[in-house]
Amino acid sequence: MPSATKKVTKKHLKTLTKNSKRKSFRNVSRIVKYGTINFGRNIWLSTAATLVMTLTLIVLSITLVATLVLSETADAMKNRIDITLFFKPETSAETLEELKNTMLADSNVKSAEVKTSEEEYQNFLQENADNSLLIETLEDPEMNMRETMISTMQSTMRLKVYDPDNLDSIKNIVASDLLFVKNLDTTEEPTYDVNSSEIATITRWAKIAKTGGLVLSIVFLVISVLVIFNTIRMAIFSRREEIYMMKLVGADRGFIRGPFLVEAQLSGVVSGLLSFGLAYAGFRFLEPRLANYGISVATVSNILDSNKIVYVVLTMILAGMLIGTISARLAVHKYMRSATK
Amino acid sequence: MILLDHVTKIYPGDKKPALDDVSLHIEPNEFVFLVGKSGAGKSTLMKMITKEENPDVGKIIIGGIDLDYVRRRHIPHYRRRLGVVFQDFKLLPRRTVYENVAFALEIAGMSSREIRRTVPKVLDLVDLSDQAHKFPAQLSGGQQQRVSIARSVARQPKILIADEPTGNLDKLTRAEIISLLQKINDFGTTVLVTTHDEAIVNNLNKRVVTLKNGKIVADQKEHGIYRLDEEKIPTSPSPASEIKINTKPIVSSAKSRSPKKEKK
Repeated sequence: MPSATKKVTKKHLKTLTKNSKRKSFRNVSRIVKYGTINFGRNIWLSTAATLVMTLTLIVLSITLVATLVLSETADAMKNRIDITLFFKPETSAETLEELKNTMLADSNVKSAEVKTSEEEYQNFLQENADNSLLIETLEDPEMNMRETMISTMQSTMRLKVYDPDNLDSIKNIVASDLLFVKNLDTTEEPTYDVNSSEIATITRWAKIAKTGGLVLSIVFLVISVLVIFNTIRMAIFSRREEIYMMKLVGADRGFIRGPFLVEAQLSGVVSGLLSFGLAYAGFRFLEPRLANYGISVATVSNILDSNKIVYVVLTMILAGMLIGTISARLAVHKYMRSATK
Repeated sequence: MILLDHVTKIYPGDKKPALDDVSLHIEPNEFVFLVGKSGAGKSTLMKMITKEENPDVGKIIIGGIDLDYVRRRHIPHYRRRLGVVFQDFKLLPRRTVYENVAFALEIAGMSSREIRRTVPKVLDLVDLSDQAHKFPAQLSGGQQQRVSIARSVARQPKILIADEPTGNLDKLTRAEIISLLQKINDFGTTVLVTTHDEAIVNNLNKRVVTLKNGKIVADQKEHGIYRLDEEKIPTSPSPASEIKINTKPIVSSAKSRSPKKEKK
């Protein structure tokens, strides 16, 4: 090809795409305009798509809230329990300190607190401070009760652990460490199992909520993507003549495809707002009832009471728009060309 | 303005080419009729010009643009430089007359102010100012075709191609449409019209190119008449030699495709 023609062609192609920046802003606003008009024209399809998407977002947020609330509840309960080990009354403070350090070396142990039998006795006195008769009797120097009490009360070690489901390492120390074996008071078993069944239940529920909710969310996600996908597909087919005309008068890809994306994104925005409203109302309704059962709703209600609520709303809107964009893109990609050939 | 150089197109699955070594040169500001039976290759030729189809062999240069070099993402931009009119009008049914014309300008990225200025002028040109807010379905065929012409000329294209613009119209409106196309031609636009309409072709005394079985069998430079039987046509100078003179200075290696072949 002679360079003259080539030059001319190149020059023309350049002018064809000139000024594209200012034009592209204009185009975007026009695309949004046409997308909005189409959304209104297909109001029934748009409504169906929006509702399915709303359902999906609600399931997603229920999953999220349930997982959060239940795992928080389980954590709170785990924190409340402790394990108590009993040692012989004559165990000295130094030995107890040594025992404590041995225990703290275990990675599951969050904290350990030791009390000698004397401290335990003081504790006992404090706990019964309002029972003056008992205290008078115990403290009567002539009866020498005090010494007797101290010599029979066990020294103790109270442990808080990170994972109450996995106490093997601790049990192992108790059973095999020589210092423990020597000093443990064998008349009383260590308290390993207090509350643990309740905690296990809640932990299990938290897991169920997490996995079940995840599965359900994915199912609904797929359904809503399919519904929107089909909505856009139908819209493409019903407008294929129009799309062909637009192509022939020189509308570019963005101008033809853009409105479909905008349409789906609008569904996303509406369903984001709608699902947030419903989920918010639902949570507020259940909040006091859940609290009555001792379920910790604090984190979630704190978020909803603070400025962070804005982020929650935005996230839901974005999630809706994302679902809309993905499904519309899929549909446009798959059907735009075949519909207008 | 429009140059086809030894263009051949065979649709996949067909043995016979839809266009067979066609060379055609149309000068700026010409008014040309393209005639031929259905299946002669008129539509294929038109689709080549709008770049809906690409030639298998040969070169097409429209208004200085070598279509081999127009990539797919440039096609919309390229098409905006053409005015295209169809037999079935291809108006957007859910938009008013005004909006249909404005739409063509919107996609070209024209500002709203310019659009508000341009559309009434164009509608005035096609004598439809008082119908601006009607929908296509409320108009007669001739009126719809005038809207379609208004849409295609709104961007002031250098080239207007019309595929059977009078095919769906009655006799009276046909003449109306043709005289409108002539008016546009008088403003300096190159016009290429395909038609079956013998009367129109014979009355206008314009250049007539006759296609048969994918080949140009006659090219009457002036006072062309509509005859599909090529032997009876009083031939003006042989079309083939005429074309060679025109193409030579522009395209030297005719049959070689450009290296930057477009991806399909």
